Amino acid sequence: MLSVSNATVHYEAADGRLIHALQDVSLGIDDGELVVGLGASGCGKSTLLNAIAGFVKLTSGSITVDGAPVTAPGADRGVVFQRDTLLPWASTLDNVAFGLRLRRIGKRERRERAMELLRLVGLDAFHAAPPWQLSGGMRQRVGLARALATDPKILLMDEPLGALDSLTRESMQELIVKLWARTHKRVLFITHSIEEALILGTRIIVFSPRPGRIVQRFDVGFVHDVLAGRDASEMKADPSFVALRQEIRALIHAGAGA
Amino acid sequence: MNLVTVQTHDALVPASTPPAARRRGRRQVRLRLFSVAVSFAMLVSWGLVSGLGLVSPLFLPSPWRVAHQAVVLAQNGYAGATLWGHAGASQARVTIAFAIASALAVPIGLAMGANRWVKAGLDPVIEFYWPLPPLAYLPLVIIWFGIGETAKITLLTLAMFAPVCLAAQSGVRSVAIERVHAAQSLGATRWQVFAHVLLPSALPEILTGMRIAMGVGWGTLVAAELVAATKGIGFMIMSAANFLATDIVFVGIAVIAVLAIASSLVLRVAERLLVPWRGRG
Repeated sequence: MLSVSNATVHYEAADGRLIHALQDVSLGIDDGELVVGLGASGCGKSTLLNAIAGFVKLTSGSITVDGAPVTAPGADRGVVFQRDTLLPWASTLDNVAFGLRLRRIGKRERRERAMELLRLVGLDAFHAAPPWQLSGGMRQRVGLARALATDPKILLMDEPLGALDSLTRESMQELIVKLWARTHKRVLFITHSIEEALILGTRIIVFSPRPGRIVQRFDVGFVHDVLAGRDASEMKADPSFVALRQEIRALIHAGAGA
Repeated sequence: MNLVTVQTHDALVPASTPPAARRRGRRQVRLRLFSVAVSFAMLVSWGLVSGLGLVSPLFLPSPWRVAHQAVVLAQNGYAGATLWGHAGASQARVTIAFAIASALAVPIGLAMGANRWVKAGLDPVIEFYWPLPPLAYLPLVIIWFGIGETAKITLLTLAMFAPVCLAAQSGVRSVAIERVHAAQSLGATRWQVFAHVLLPSALPEILTGMRIAMGVGWGTLVAAELVAATKGIGFMIMSAANFLATDIVFVGIAVIAVLAIASSLVLRVAERLLVPWRGRG
């Protein structure tokens, strides 16, 4: 269980103003949950992810993973970034195996495990290519495989599909849902796309900016329809999908206007 | 094992298409030809100006006179050493100083880029000395290290240190923070972040800094060989100038140019071999 209680992050901006990036946020993520953090930019959703990852220190409050408090980044929390963070001098395979190498796992074993993960994301044919020869969508899949390689307790995804075109994005959403169902990892997925949140999440937490806080939580089940192979465009036209999308949109707009 | 199959819409980024590449190639050829043509035109005007006697050979010897002098120097040498002896002495000084400067500047620059205390400590010293012209501190170097090889190599090392040090610093500081975060969340320790992320990320800039340092080294050579040298191209130039042997000065300049270009080429090849990903992330 990942547990966030009363997490607050204040920091001083360059001009000296105090920014309330995150205010009293509490959240639990259980095994098998795919929680989506949703909100306009600057609402604190990425700050929450960065705090859980250990990149940002809390001003007050606490974060624990299976009871152990988070104080610094660590391999128990895998991160997939929006920006490409692959190492350009290493092959695709070595990038996926990077976390295993840091743990001093033998070359043969880490290559085997990395190859298995590359097969899982459909890129085993590109294992020898350097990352700069891959497309943006492929690079994000490598990033996903790399984050899974160290078998983290939770996967943190910070708008990983934000820079992709819509077709690539849809196939990536499908891949993420399938990987989640297969590995049963806890996932925190950050996005500003309401549709993406509805398609992926078992739970959606909606953020409101200044100060960044959670204004509403929704338990949703469309992700099970995706897993059952339901057509995405048909699902997006479903009256319950449309109604929920409208409700969340109104909520976000109200928060942004306040 | 039940593997997930993925439907993908993205494909490999295509390499530049053949027609565009060919057009680019043709433009490259035309640009090269233009470079050669302009250089040739300047050579011809030099020949005309000196050949028609418009300027005294004392100021501007003709190209064929310089070429002839080069042959004579190659056969008979100058002031007790062959032309190769002079070139070799200079090349050795620059190479040794380059090695010492790089060996010092890379770790110091990396440490300055990675740790703000190291930077705060060393910044004033380096910022103070690096813009100084080497000729300004040459007398000090001679007073401290004498008139032997040590002083010459020290002067060249001081001049070549700063570009490499500054490049290593900036290489470390321009690493995207996400790349460091990614390594940390894969379990990297501080030392592993340094060895596996910061150092290789800074390598392209370090190599650029080394190429600049090499240029600075050759640029400082004449100053280094100004005092108490009996060998070296810089010494040859200064000595010939005392006798108003302008043609020998020209030969010396040409030799320095050739050696400097050759060093730069070697470093460019090293760059291509060591950092093939350069400019691609």
